[in-house]
Amino acid sequence: MVDGDWHRVHPASPFVRGWVALAAIVYFFGRDTFERTLQGRGTIGDNLNERTLWLLAGGGVFLLLALGSFVLSWYFTRYQLAEGYVRVNTGFLFKQQRQARLDRVQAIDIVQPLLARIFGLAELKFEVADAGHSAVRLSYLRLEQAKQLRATILGRAAGIADGSETVQVPEAPEQVVLYVPPGRLVGSLILSEQSFFIVLSAIASVLVSVLTESRAFILYLIPAILGLGTAYWRSFNTGYNFTAAISPDGIRLRYGLLDTRAQTVPPGRIQALKVTQPPLWRLLGWYRIHVNVAGYGEHHRSEGEHRTMLLPVGRKPEVMVMLSLVLPDPGTADPERVFTAGLTGLDSGAGFVTTPKRAWILSPLGWRRNGFLSTDTALLLRSGRLWRKLVMVPHQRTQSIALHQGPLARLFGVADLVLHTTPGPVAPRLIQAAAGEALGLFDQQAARAREARKLQNLAQDNSEQWLPQRRTAPVPAPTTTHPMQHASTQEEPDHG
Amino acid sequence: MHTAAIDPPGIQWLRLSPKYVSVRLVEWAIGNVITIGLFSLPLLFVELGWWKWPPLWLAVALPAAFLLLALWRLVLIPRQVRAIGYAERDDDLLVRRGIFFQRTMVVPYGRMQFVDVTVGPVERLLGLCTVKLHTASAGTNARLPGLPAAEGARLREQLSARGEARLAGL
Repeated sequence: MVDGDWHRVHPASPFVRGWVALAAIVYFFGRDTFERTLQGRGTIGDNLNERTLWLLAGGGVFLLLALGSFVLSWYFTRYQLAEGYVRVNTGFLFKQQRQARLDRVQAIDIVQPLLARIFGLAELKFEVADAGHSAVRLSYLRLEQAKQLRATILGRAAGIADGSETVQVPEAPEQVVLYVPPGRLVGSLILSEQSFFIVLSAIASVLVSVLTESRAFILYLIPAILGLGTAYWRSFNTGYNFTAAISPDGIRLRYGLLDTRAQTVPPGRIQALKVTQPPLWRLLGWYRIHVNVAGYGEHHRSEGEHRTMLLPVGRKPEVMVMLSLVLPDPGTADPERVFTAGLTGLDSGAGFVTTPKRAWILSPLGWRRNGFLSTDTALLLRSGRLWRKLVMVPHQRTQSIALHQGPLARLFGVADLVLHTTPGPVAPRLIQAAAGEALGLFDQQAARAREARKLQNLAQDNSEQWLPQRRTAPVPAPTTTHPMQHASTQEEPDHG
Repeated sequence: MHTAAIDPPGIQWLRLSPKYVSVRLVEWAIGNVITIGLFSLPLLFVELGWWKWPPLWLAVALPAAFLLLALWRLVLIPRQVRAIGYAERDDDLLVRRGIFFQRTMVVPYGRMQFVDVTVGPVERLLGLCTVKLHTASAGTNARLPGLPAAEGARLREQLSARGEARLAGL
C-alpha cells in the first residue's frame, strides 16, 4: 500500500451491509407480481390496472434511491494510512473525517459475517481506548486486503516500519498455542451455569404443574426454551473453532462457525484478566478466561461478551499458557505454584494472604479463599469457594485504587480494596482483607504501579510502540505441555 | 461516635469549604420536600375520603418514617462534609470520604485523562465549584465538591501540570 493514498472500500460492501433493506423494498412492492407469477396468471396480470403500475413504479423509484445512496456512500467513504495516522472520511451530506493514531491501537478485529464471508469480504475494526464504539470500521474489504491492512497498521504501530516506506509490511508469523475442540465446547455449554438454572427451573415447573394439576404451565416455558436455545446457539456459534496464536504483534484469537472473527491484541494491551470456574466445571477441571481491553468496553453487550473472552473453556495447562502470554514475566520464581494456588488453593499456600480468621462469619465459605498475592509484575486476587475466581492485574495497568470499609467490616477489622481498570468484564476487588494488610497493600500497590509505569515510560519513551524494545523477544515455543517452562525462559529477555 | 479511619497515617488532609454544607442543605431540602410530599398524598386522599385504604395510621406512618429518615440525614450532613478530604502527594492525589462507609482512593497523576470543573447554581452563589478527575476507568469516582473557586482553579492547574509531567499511556 502506498503511503498517503486514499482508498475506497470494496464496491459490493453497501449491498452486503444493506441487503435487508433491498430485499424489503423488492418484497414490499413486488409481492403482488410475484404472487401472480406463482399462480400462473401472467407477470403483469389480466387487467393491467393502475394499482399494479403505481406499485411497480413506486418500487422502482425506491430501489433506485436506495441504490443511489449506496453508491454515493461507497464513493464518499475513503480511508488513508499516513504519518502514523489512519484517516477515514465518510458521508456526502454530513461529512465526517476521523483520524486515529496508529500507536494508540488497543486491538484490531477482522470480522466476517456470513454473507460477507460468502463473498470473500471482511470488516476491519480498529479499537482505541474509548470504550464504546470502534474508532475506525472499514466494511468491507477483500479478506486479503483486510489482512494486509492489519499487518501494515500493526507494523507501523509496533515501529518496525516508519511512514516513509512504501513497501508492503509482511504479516507477522504466528504460532498456534491452543485450540478448543468443538466437543469440549459443547460439554462446557452443557455444564455451564445456565444449564444448572434450566434444570432447576424445569424441576420447579414440573413440581408446580403437579401440585396445581394444570398443564397450562408448560405453555409459558416455550418462549423461555426458545430464548435459551438462542443463547446456547450464540455461544456455540461464536466459540466454535476457537484458536489462540501468538505472534510478535500480539495475541491472535480466531473463532466462529457462521460468522467468523479474528482478533489481534498487541502486547501489553490487556488491562486485567480473570479466570473463573463454575461449580460443575470442576468435575472436568475446566476454566475460562475473560479480559479487559480498553477498546472493547462493555457496550454492544452481545458482541462484547465474546470479544472479551480469552479462553472459552480450557484445562489448567491451557490456562497457564494464556497467563504466560498475557504476562510474559510473571514476576515470581515459581509461577506454576503461585497460579495453581490462585486457581484452586486455600489458606496461605504459595504466599497468598487471606481474610483473617476473626472475620470468617462475613463469608463463612469463602474466607479461606479470599486473598491476594503480589508478584513483581502483577497483583493476583482470588475469591470464591464454589464459583472460583482468580483476577490478575499487571501493576503498570492500575488506573486508581480505593479502599472501602463499612461499619460491619470495621467491627471485624477488615477492608475491601478495589482496583479500577478500564471498562470490561473484570472488576478487580480484594474482599475482606485485614485492615492493616489492605492499607499496606494500598500504599505498596500505589508505589509499585508508579515504579512499573516509570520503567515502562523509560523503555518506551512515551510512545506506545512495542517492538523496538522487544525485537529480541522470541516467540514462545508452541509446547502446550510445559507452559511454565517457556514462561520462565521468556523472563530473561525481558529482564535483560 | 468516633471511628478509626482507614487512611494511610500521617496525611495532612485538605478539607472542603464549610460553606459546602449549605449546598448540601439546599439539595437535601429540595429532595425531601418532593419525596415527603409524594408520600403524604395517601394521607391527603384518606382525609378527603377519596380512598378507603390504607388505614389512617398507615397513611400517617409512611410520611413520618420518611421525615425521620430525612432528619437523620440532615444531622449527618455536616459530619459527612467534614469527612471529605484530599491530599496532593508527589505522584498521586488521595481522596477520602465517608464515616460509616469509608472510602479512600489514590489517583496517580499520570493516569488522569482530564479534569472537570463544574459550578451549579447554588455553588455559584456561594463562590464554590466541583472538581472531578477522570481516568480511563469508569470506576474512578474522584469528585471533590465544595471547593472555593480559587482553590478549584489552582487544583485544576496543578493537576493538569502534574499529569502532563507524568503522562503515561494506558
